[in-house]
Amino acid sequence: MGERLVIAKGLGRDFRDGNSGRINVLRDVDCEIAPGARIAIVGPSGSGKTTLLHILGGLDRPTAGTVEWPALGAFETLRPRHIGFVFQSPSLFPALTAVQNVGLPMLLAGENIGASDIGASLLQSFDLDELGDKLPEELSGGQAQRIAMARALAMGPKLLLADEPTGQLDSRTALLFLDAVLDRLEATDIALVIATHDEIVANRMATRWTMDHGRLTTGHRPGAVTA
Amino acid sequence: MMFLLWIRGVLARRFLRVAGAAAGIALTVALLSAMALFLANAGASMTARAVSAVPIDWQVQVISGADPALVGKALADAAPVKAVHQVRYADVAGFEAQTGGTTQTTGPGQAVAFDGSYLSDFPAEIRSLSGTLDGVLIAQQTAANLHVGPGDAVSIQRMGLPPVEVRIAGVVDLPDADALFQAVGLPPQAAPQAPPDNVLILPQEAWRQMFDPQQKARPDTTRLQLHARLAHAALPPDPVSAYTFVTAAQRNLEARVAGQALVADNLGSRLGAVREDALYASVLFLFLGLPGIALAVALTFAVTSSGAARRRAEQAMLRVRGATIKAILLLSATEAAVAAIAGTAIGMAAASLLAAVAPGLKATVGIDGPTLLLVAVFGLLVGLIAFLYPAWRDARWVTVAAARRTVNRPNAPLWQRLWLDGLLLAAAGLFFWQSASTGYQIVLAPEGVAATSVDYKAFIAPALFWLGMALLTIRLSATIIARNGALLRMIVAPVSGALAPVVSAALSRQAGRLTIGIAMTALSISFATSTAIFNTTYNAQARIDAELTNGSDVTVFGTTDKPAGAHLKALASLPEAAAAEPMQHRFAYVGTDLQDLYGIDPHRIGRATGLSDAYFSGASAAGTLALLAATSDGVLVSEETVQDFQLQQGDTINLRLMDARDHQYHPVPFKFIGVAREFPTAPKDSFLVANSAYVARTTGSDASEYVLMRARADPAALARKASSVLTFDPSLKVADIGQAAHLIGSSLTAVDLGGLTTIELGFAVVMAAAAAGLMLALGFYERRRPFAILAAIGAKPRQLAAFLWSEGLLILVGGMTFGLISGLLTAWMLVKLLTGVFDPPPEALSIPWLYLAVVSGLVAASVIAAVLSARPSTGQTAEQLRDL
Ligand SMILES: Nc1ncnc2c1ncn2[C@@H]1O[C@H](COP(=O)(O)OP(=O)(O)O)[C@@H](O)[C@H]1O
Ligand SMILES: [Mg+2]
Repeated sequence: MGERLVIAKGLGRDFRDGNSGRINVLRDVDCEIAPGARIAIVGPSGSGKTTLLHILGGLDRPTAGTVEWPALGAFETLRPRHIGFVFQSPSLFPALTAVQNVGLPMLLAGENIGASDIGASLLQSFDLDELGDKLPEELSGGQAQRIAMARALAMGPKLLLADEPTGQLDSRTALLFLDAVLDRLEATDIALVIATHDEIVANRMATRWTMDHGRLTTGHRPGAVTA
Repeated sequence: MMFLLWIRGVLARRFLRVAGAAAGIALTVALLSAMALFLANAGASMTARAVSAVPIDWQVQVISGADPALVGKALADAAPVKAVHQVRYADVAGFEAQTGGTTQTTGPGQAVAFDGSYLSDFPAEIRSLSGTLDGVLIAQQTAANLHVGPGDAVSIQRMGLPPVEVRIAGVVDLPDADALFQAVGLPPQAAPQAPPDNVLILPQEAWRQMFDPQQKARPDTTRLQLHARLAHAALPPDPVSAYTFVTAAQRNLEARVAGQALVADNLGSRLGAVREDALYASVLFLFLGLPGIALAVALTFAVTSSGAARRRAEQAMLRVRGATIKAILLLSATEAAVAAIAGTAIGMAAASLLAAVAPGLKATVGIDGPTLLLVAVFGLLVGLIAFLYPAWRDARWVTVAAARRTVNRPNAPLWQRLWLDGLLLAAAGLFFWQSASTGYQIVLAPEGVAATSVDYKAFIAPALFWLGMALLTIRLSATIIARNGALLRMIVAPVSGALAPVVSAALSRQAGRLTIGIAMTALSISFATSTAIFNTTYNAQARIDAELTNGSDVTVFGTTDKPAGAHLKALASLPEAAAAEPMQHRFAYVGTDLQDLYGIDPHRIGRATGLSDAYFSGASAAGTLALLAATSDGVLVSEETVQDFQLQQGDTINLRLMDARDHQYHPVPFKFIGVAREFPTAPKDSFLVANSAYVARTTGSDASEYVLMRARADPAALARKASSVLTFDPSLKVADIGQAAHLIGSSLTAVDLGGLTTIELGFAVVMAAAAAGLMLALGFYERRRPFAILAAIGAKPRQLAAFLWSEGLLILVGGMTFGLISGLLTAWMLVKLLTGVFDPPPEALSIPWLYLAVVSGLVAASVIAAVLSARPSTGQTAEQLRDL
């Protein structure tokens, strides 16, 4: 087992809540993500899944505790090079076509040469090549999320964070999407963390973390495949 | 409770939109009230100025045999009269005087008598030149003809009676002779009568002794007039109402006296002329102000309909959760009410603040109250409609799927496919051409008719042009942006660097939103530009007009006996004077018509006064003067004279000029070389311009009656200095251009647009800045989530900024380009259409570079501010990702 991608200790996050004071969205969360992990974070709506993903991805800062990325280098280079993100839909940049969306991280990282070729080949690997010139609003929910996934993988990250990527999809499409993602990641040691409240999705993952009112329970589920 | 929370939520989340709409409404209301107040004030000041320029309001001539007391009573009953005086006129066969052993006689003349305190109520009728005002006074021209002065004796040749002799006490000028000696009771179309050349003014007692007998013998040769001053405070402030009021009173008087008296209504005719100016003023303010108001309304609508995508998404969610269309409209109504009430209140407050500080905007509650109430109602309506219309449209259209669309593949709207913009511009051109072919006659005020009319068709051309330009701007920017071609990439390249292709691609998908931003910015810049250019041109022209009337910055007016030119050296050496040039002012008979003759040195006159090309017909000012310089006996005459005498270039005409040696008029040959329409100090109708050297040689006098001076700095300071140098001779009159500007009552350029245009220019700046900055900021605000996504997938702040700056630059470049072009064209069109306002019409537009620089600077600053405030600070990304 290689060096941990993320180590979080004693995480807390609170928000100012209107005028009545503060609410603790995360309380004392400890967790680690190893390369190749397949983790589902499950929990009811409002339990703090999104907040935790944002902190693990470096988009948000905890108000208590620490988060480190030992295997991923300096904080500034986390995204898009090392961490790919798939957001709750709609997660594509609405003014750009599918292929432009996929190539965007490379452009932002300053690798403008061949960005669209890589974008196109990524689309191909997701069976999306005929959608390249479509705008996000012209795509179905499943298509849009697959393209978002392709974009998240564009820079060859070591960690992929997906926030309810199947939230807007019916369960058949959700499974098709998940299978495509898992297929794509099969031979890699890219770690995948999916926040979901969909049991079917969660069951496909090796590890299940449970969120409840800001508290996280980690643990292996017996019998699941570990990478 | 629920509802209150809801309102709070809405206000918090949509603060920018509600505040922006309130600002648009405030601008609308403030501009509209400022215009209404200004219009009322301009009318009142025009009336006041017109009234004060009339020396004798009414001249009531009592028919011989009628009872003056009864007529006087009828007069007091018919109108609010402040003062009435009796004036007696008698025709005489001539005057005679013996001086230095020779006898001079004049042709027929008049002997006049004013009653006791006449001069204290009508001080403008007599100006003392020498001697005293007690006793027998002689008009200056008559004194010159008779070679007499104070102390000399003059004999009056009465009609059918032996002559009587009087001793002169003083020499006077009769500045208002035209009115004083007018023939009362002639129809208005009748040709005006020249005042008599020879006039003697007698004390009333002396007149009665000498002329009561003549009255008995020849009643047709004497007249009694009552000169009345009306109570001016009783007149309505608006010129049109004042005119109606005075003419009604005049008719009332005529009915009361039933033929026993005739009335000359000088006040009424003056107001009749001003009424035309007042209509021109209204037209002018409409032309200048309406685009501003339309723009403020458009801005309000642009703000409220911005973020439609986001709003529809919100509403779709509300409807999914069971909210009815009614509830959704109620939500919008709350927003609308807050924005409309706040906007109207702020606008009213701003207007009253302006009224307190800006000149010419004093509000008079009684008159302006209802108008302002109307303005407030208008503001509230605009606010309500601006919010409810898009909400109603959204609510009807919304389907959950459609609501999610935020990027629209451009689908050319109907007007673009119909080329409506091109059609509008073509129609504007056609209407403009039609107005041009009728000589831009916008205001028609026929003489002697109470009804005036404005040719409202003239508004069509600029209105169509404005709309056409707006649509063309939209079409061109939409096309350029949507095409995502080299031009778009070139515009954004400086700020987007390596990201240019993706930035321009992103921009091209938002052509609709960006185009509205560009169009609003362009329209407000165009408004600012056209108002400013019109204003500077107008001011420059008002100055030319004043200079034309006054002759130059400062003019010293003298007479042939006491020429100002005698003091040329002293005047020219004043440190405040940049130049001083003499000019002769004589009289010459053209046939039987006595005209003003100006003798100039064509090489030098331009140093002291500006001569515009418009003063001359057929050739430029420089060309005409050069020709005059080359033709020593050349003369420029008026168009009218050319017509009357069928003159051809090069014809010799004989003018009769007075010879200084024998005081008689002798024919002098001149060569007709050109036509002068206007000339410094010259009357509007007909006059002559010739070489002073030739005039001096042929009349035996090189006296220059006038001196024209150009000031180094302040004309008023030069005028004060010149007066102090010339105090020893009260007959020399010094006038500066500022005084003249106030006196040109018949010309609209006398209306001080200063207050209004300052306000409009201020509004234009605010609107241009608001349009650019606000539209941009609203657009950014609606797209926080896409920007957060960019940040989340690794965009550095610099790269996010590239997207924002590109958008800002695009709005700036598009808005400026289209705005300046359309502003320039609109100003040109306005100046052309309002030719009637200018006399003479301007030769070129005056461009206010400084103001345009300030407008551009502020627009750029507001764009920069919008971009800077939209740049997401790190740490907000997570929060903004949760936005819809
Ligand atoms: N910026 C914020 N301000 C206040 N409360 C917030 C903010 N962001 C999230 N929350 C609250 O934190 C809680 C957890 O939210 P989230 O992490 O999105 O949960 P989940 O993804 O499990 O649905 C919710 O109750 C939410 O309302
Ligand atoms: Mg969530």
